[in-house]
Amino acid sequence: MSALASNGAAPRSRLDGRLRIAILVLTLIGIGVAGYLTYTHYAKIKVICGSNGGCETVQSSVYSKLDGVPVAVLGLAGYIGILFSLAIRSELGRAAAFGIALVGFLFSMYLTYREAFTIHAYCYWCLSSALLMTLLVILTAIRFLRVDAPPRPPKTMPRAERRRVERRQAARR
Amino acid sequence: MASRTKQKEEARARRLAEERARVERVRRQRRLQMVGGIVAGAVIVVVALVLISSGSGGAAKETGLQSGTKANATATSVDQMFAGISQGGNRLGQPNAPVTMTYYGDYECPVCQAFTLQGGFPQLVANDVRSGKVKVVYRSFCTATCGGPGESVFNTQQVAGLAAGRQNLFWQFTELFYREQGQEDTGYVNESYLDGLAQQIPGLSISAWKTARNDPNLAAQVASDQNSAKQIGVSGTPTLIFSGPKGQAAASQAVPTYAQLESVIKQVS
Repeated sequence: MSALASNGAAPRSRLDGRLRIAILVLTLIGIGVAGYLTYTHYAKIKVICGSNGGCETVQSSVYSKLDGVPVAVLGLAGYIGILFSLAIRSELGRAAAFGIALVGFLFSMYLTYREAFTIHAYCYWCLSSALLMTLLVILTAIRFLRVDAPPRPPKTMPRAERRRVERRQAARR
Repeated sequence: MASRTKQKEEARARRLAEERARVERVRRQRRLQMVGGIVAGAVIVVVALVLISSGSGGAAKETGLQSGTKANATATSVDQMFAGISQGGNRLGQPNAPVTMTYYGDYECPVCQAFTLQGGFPQLVANDVRSGKVKVVYRSFCTATCGGPGESVFNTQQVAGLAAGRQNLFWQFTELFYREQGQEDTGYVNESYLDGLAQQIPGLSISAWKTARNDPNLAAQVASDQNSAKQIGVSGTPTLIFSGPKGQAAASQAVPTYAQLESVIKQVS
């Protein structure tokens, strides 16, 4: 009991739950945004854009594709990758989510820089995706650094007590 | 006896605490190594993506201006496309055609190029414009060019097209520009590029074309096109607005097919 309480496993587990829900919601919104941009690209239809009308300027620019692949498709793949990594409830899953979100965030910053200084037009859909990636990299970083799987009870602990601790940990997960 | 038991318990608690601290230390170290690895990996991936995106990952800057037999073949194909169709300035087709398609375009816009190469434009010209049902009027609206070299190049290139229009060869110049478009944002549009296009147009007097390029009325026309586009809320290119006896309608696709163009024409005629 004291081992669990001192490691704060219970509050951390609650933190993990909340972070997972927040990341899930942001990822689903991201899939919606990137999915819409991907759809409009392949269906060759115009993007619904605000009054500034910069979406088409951005989408018709050379930066909207990466070696022939629309960046919206890459964004969609990134969000789906984060979604899958949420299903892996281990350190590897948390690391993967952080890594994908970090790549998405850095590349979004580059594209936003291009919008501001090269294309001189803004696409609200792209800016929304950049904002989502920014929030995702923060949340996945917190989840990776702050949420721990509870440590395995030390080998020196008597076997019966060790089993009891492991059972409690399993029940909390 | 009791004190010995207590000593044993204390020793065990100490060992447990030390073990826990050691495990925590190892885990923190491992976590830091993983963070370092993830950040380094992410930076490498993003640098590679940026290099590909900016075209410095191996793709050389290129101009789309063709030469030799390829240029001849393109020029012949464009000439055949417009042969026998009435032209005047930026208009293609009979002046009294019942339906007008106003085409807002930017010569450097790759989506406009796609409208010519993959969209329904050639078929529209071959069927509806040639038959006298539709006329096309081109208006300049800066999109892709203003995302790169800027408005001054935009004016120069669009005026070059209108100058060819003074010899009723505007559409040959426009179509050749789209077909020989260079890589966007590389500053490929310069005097030698524009001269190269002009020289591919059969029947164009280069000296008259060069004189017309200095006409301030043509620059004013480009400015007026831009203003009218902004007033009606044009936001991208190509924007295709059809007007006919039954009113006005715009193509909703960025690169409409011929069937999609036909359906808008039906709405307005």
